[in-house]
Amino acid sequence: MRLEMGTFPVHTITFGSQTRYQDGHLEVDKAAVLEAVQHDPRIATVDLEIAYPGESVRIWPVRDVIEPRFKVEGPGVTYPGICGRSITTVGEGRTHRLSGMGITEVSSVNWHDAGGDYVEIYLDMSGPWADLLPLSKLMHLCVVVEPDPGLGNEAQNDAVHKAALVVNDQIAAATRHLTPPEREIFELRQVDPTLPKVVYIWCVHSPQAMSGSPTAFCTATYGLTQLTPPWFLHPNEILDGALTGPYRTAFAMSWTVANNPLLLDLYRRHGVDWNFVGVIALRTEWTTQHEKQLMANQAAKLARQLGAQGALLTWDAGGNEFIEVVRTIQACEQLGIKTVFLTSEDDATDAAPTMLEPLPEADAIVSTTFFKTRTLNLPDMPPVQRVIGMQQKAIGPLRDQLVPTAGSLPPPPRYDDHYGFTTLSCIEY
Amino acid sequence: MISAIYDLALTTGANRVIRGARIEHVCGDPNLGPEKDYAYGMRIVRTALEAVQTAVTGPTLFDPMDMALEREVSHAS
Repeated sequence: MRLEMGTFPVHTITFGSQTRYQDGHLEVDKAAVLEAVQHDPRIATVDLEIAYPGESVRIWPVRDVIEPRFKVEGPGVTYPGICGRSITTVGEGRTHRLSGMGITEVSSVNWHDAGGDYVEIYLDMSGPWADLLPLSKLMHLCVVVEPDPGLGNEAQNDAVHKAALVVNDQIAAATRHLTPPEREIFELRQVDPTLPKVVYIWCVHSPQAMSGSPTAFCTATYGLTQLTPPWFLHPNEILDGALTGPYRTAFAMSWTVANNPLLLDLYRRHGVDWNFVGVIALRTEWTTQHEKQLMANQAAKLARQLGAQGALLTWDAGGNEFIEVVRTIQACEQLGIKTVFLTSEDDATDAAPTMLEPLPEADAIVSTTFFKTRTLNLPDMPPVQRVIGMQQKAIGPLRDQLVPTAGSLPPPPRYDDHYGFTTLSCIEY
Repeated sequence: MISAIYDLALTTGANRVIRGARIEHVCGDPNLGPEKDYAYGMRIVRTALEAVQTAVTGPTLFDPMDMALEREVSHAS
């Protein structure tokens, strides 16, 4: 499986008379893009707005950030399976990406109806919250979209996320006939057989247990969000968007998944420092101990079948999902696979363990700071001049009070740098 | 403690741990329908009541699916 990734760096975005890319400048024909989105009768309102790093701008709330990617050659489409897109296996041919920007989905629609998981992620383009987020260094083409209020929650999710993907296709396709300024070949070629074999076990949340629905919107493999046994994915499939966000942190967006620095480093050092054998995507939030242990056993078995001598493990969630994650580490170690765990830590101040089940097999841990933002002792974020999205947010235990989103706001409840974009940590082990 | 993730309860030192159904419905299973859900819930609660009257020497698991409500002795290591 060979994938050529062509990168088009974006330095400026403006609205203009046609959608085109030239020398780092992206011009967007706003009317044409909006018309393409409004082709879906489920869309009630939609607008596009641009945000630059350094501006006094807040984007509220952020449902997802998508890197514009388009399949130029080879089977399938980028971001396959999502919102009814083709499920043809991806990862071959040539894909174009626009780097330095995101298509940012802004809408009041919650990911599911079950409560608790309100979409309260926001991005500031300047200030202390922006300083902590790789996403705030991007330019954002915001799709501010609301669906027909008469639709059910899942249809609303499908409609607004599809709107963002329509914008992705419109924007990224503008590079279709252009020669990429940067090219990189991704291929798991045959390498020196004495190099150690390494597998990446990438744990991703499933919303099924929380929402009660196997089709609730969330982190997806080929658009599928339900609890499923471990998947074996070629990293090229992930580069084409077969694994996507969002989940409830600014580090679990589709953009951060597609640009996961661990995945790219594992890939780029394939044949140099190790033999990268691929990705096991393990869905989490199984709801009995037996299921959790079974998934751990199966992931470890799959790693052994792949000949892995080492495994790298990340996760994108918190709470009980830790059990299947840490037990996968245990199961791998028991099969002789050396495992490294990249994780945030929980708040230790209330006497709970910083890791829910601290198993002795998890003896190689890279800490990526705290799970909860409050542990970082951040101040409330200063007011901004302009808000893209909702101008008010609900607060209070009954969510019956409204405050302006342009005012001073606490940071979102979770930080959690799942993939090591930043350099924060808690303690060196 | 009634828990769906009973090993965690045992390792954190709870003396009497009752195996619950699932995280989202620890004391029953709505998929069984109202009558069986109730019966299952009663079984879990009765097991818990039995457990609280039982002397233990360390963290011990009680499994409601044991028909005779005899203890499944499983000490945490």
